[in-house]
Amino acid sequence: MINVPGLGIVKGMALTLRKFFEPKATIKYPEVRLDVPHKFRGRLQLLYDEYGTLKCETCFQCAQACPIECIDMGGIDTKGRYHIHWGAPETYGERREESALRRSGRPVPDQAYAHFDPIHPDGLVAILERFDFDPKNMLEILDATQAEYGHLPVAALKLISQRTGAWYAMIYGTATYYRHLRFEPPGSEPIAAASADDRASRETRFLAGLDASLAGSRRGTSGRGTSGPATKPSAGAARA
Amino acid sequence: MARSFSRLTLAGKILFTIFPILLVLTGGLIVVIVVAGKPIVDFLATNIWLVRFVVAATAVLLMSVPSAFLIIYMEMKVIALMNLRIGPDRVGPFGSLLSVVHGLKVLMKEDFSPTGADRLVFTLAPIAVFMATIMSLLVLPFAPGLFGVDMNIGLLYLFAVSGLSVVGLLMAGWSSFNKYSLLGGLRSAAQVVSYEIPLTLSVVGLLLLAGTMSLNTISTNQAGWFTNWYVFQQPLGALIFFIAATAEANRTPFDLTEADSEIVAGFATEYSGMRFGFFFFAEYVNVFVVSGLIVTLFFGGWNAPFPWPWPIALNIDPGSMGLGLLFALLIVPPLLILALAAPFYVGRSTLPWWQALIIGFVLFNLLVVVAIGGWAFISWDWVAGLFWFLGKSYLFVFTFVWMRGTLPRVRIDQLMGFAWKWLLPASLLNLFVTAAALVVVHR
Repeated sequence: MINVPGLGIVKGMALTLRKFFEPKATIKYPEVRLDVPHKFRGRLQLLYDEYGTLKCETCFQCAQACPIECIDMGGIDTKGRYHIHWGAPETYGERREESALRRSGRPVPDQAYAHFDPIHPDGLVAILERFDFDPKNMLEILDATQAEYGHLPVAALKLISQRTGAWYAMIYGTATYYRHLRFEPPGSEPIAAASADDRASRETRFLAGLDASLAGSRRGTSGRGTSGPATKPSAGAARA
Repeated sequence: MARSFSRLTLAGKILFTIFPILLVLTGGLIVVIVVAGKPIVDFLATNIWLVRFVVAATAVLLMSVPSAFLIIYMEMKVIALMNLRIGPDRVGPFGSLLSVVHGLKVLMKEDFSPTGADRLVFTLAPIAVFMATIMSLLVLPFAPGLFGVDMNIGLLYLFAVSGLSVVGLLMAGWSSFNKYSLLGGLRSAAQVVSYEIPLTLSVVGLLLLAGTMSLNTISTNQAGWFTNWYVFQQPLGALIFFIAATAEANRTPFDLTEADSEIVAGFATEYSGMRFGFFFFAEYVNVFVVSGLIVTLFFGGWNAPFPWPWPIALNIDPGSMGLGLLFALLIVPPLLILALAAPFYVGRSTLPWWQALIIGFVLFNLLVVVAIGGWAFISWDWVAGLFWFLGKSYLFVFTFVWMRGTLPRVRIDQLMGFAWKWLLPASLLNLFVTAAALVVVHR
């Protein structure tokens, strides 16, 4: 039965005839449009708010949530202080420049690390040992570090990250969440005082000035992209 | 003048060109009829064969174009569906006018002859191919009484004339001044000449059975139940004929003459515009001719597969209604449209009334077409014959397209070996067995 001449032809013809009656998967695009998958978010894009500033606050939540780790960040934080990174180090922009320099035989300046001061790590290592290198005790570690060094130097944060295995971004996030933690030595902070009341009053003043300067061009009840608690349009309007 | 002509729209240009020509032609015709009407009619009445020939030639030329369009559309659509694509669906309903657009495109293209080509032969080749195909249409019996000529050597004529196409292919290949064309032409000569032999020999057994070469008589011989079809007496012959006809028509899997993966487009490589269009048309008309020939010889021609057991006679005389006919013509269509639209309008509350009316109109037209077609089918012999002939023919056209959608192209040595080593002995065997059986039966 297998070696009947012509059987293959018959089989092939039967196959094409079956396919002839099969429903086709083609979607006639301009007339029929498929719904996009409900998790589809389109192209990753940084948006600007109505004041012309970037809405992105470099909080890294998107990067941490990204299941396939496709989000990468480089640059400086909102206060213009640090180079902050997410993702594999070889994807940082300055690393790429670095390797280009190295390949061309020129000396490589350490741009990413040159600008923050080194610390003496013994005190910090002792603190870390006291807290068993456990990132769950991060707040206590940071408190102790601030007590040791007077503020939270970048080198200390890096070392904490390296020893505890916690992400630098998470440590940074924890540190920025608590207002008593500071990144600069107390005397040299660019903003003078940091008490909560004073800060709130400064925010109110800033917002009032901003609203006054934008009074002509503001559109209705749009929110504002400044810091502070989730900016509700009604709250903004009430302040104005 | 030239500038104002160039400012016209396309339709305006066409009308502006055609209208004076039509005017002159109509006037000339009227003058001719008035001046010399009587003698011309007398002459035509005495020489009715001339009228018949002109009408048949015109009809065959006219029908070749839409049938080629239809087959080209079938080819595109059927192969697309078999490839799990959708195929043409933009122009016309289900893309059915795409082949017309193809035809117009071919007409508008530049008519180009390559340097070094033999101009005269190059120009004549597509005409030769097209003529061979068209002339073979003349003897095909489409329906009882609906054929060009009923020759008593119809089959011989058909083989002779369709064999002429190889001359055209060879002319095209030779005159194109291109090695691919030459290879294609030589291949086509070798292939067509080789397959002519089993093709002709495979029907000799049938001729012994039928006792005639007239295609019309062969069709009439197969009347009655479908068991009378010659395919049941000559199965091997039918199979050989089918395979050899595939090769004759240069269809896949035997389309070595224009094997586009090997020799660009074979003999048609250097052709462009309507000259290529003639080859293209000839190929598809040829498919129809071959299918019609298979149907005529082996599958009962224009006979229905079964005799209709209850003869129906429709004696409708619309003239007997008198003036009422006019009123009926005025009143019945709108009423029917409304009646057909009503269930859709009532049944689906979301349907606007005008869409329901459109549905009713389309349904009414379908109904009328079916009714008139059925009435013609019952009343006239030739309508029924044409229906069955075309139906069976297009079934075979579909088979050819189906084969093209399925089978890969054979190698040239396989092709020739198959013709000479298998088909020829098989057709000879078929002939001898048929002859022996006839001798035994008639003794």
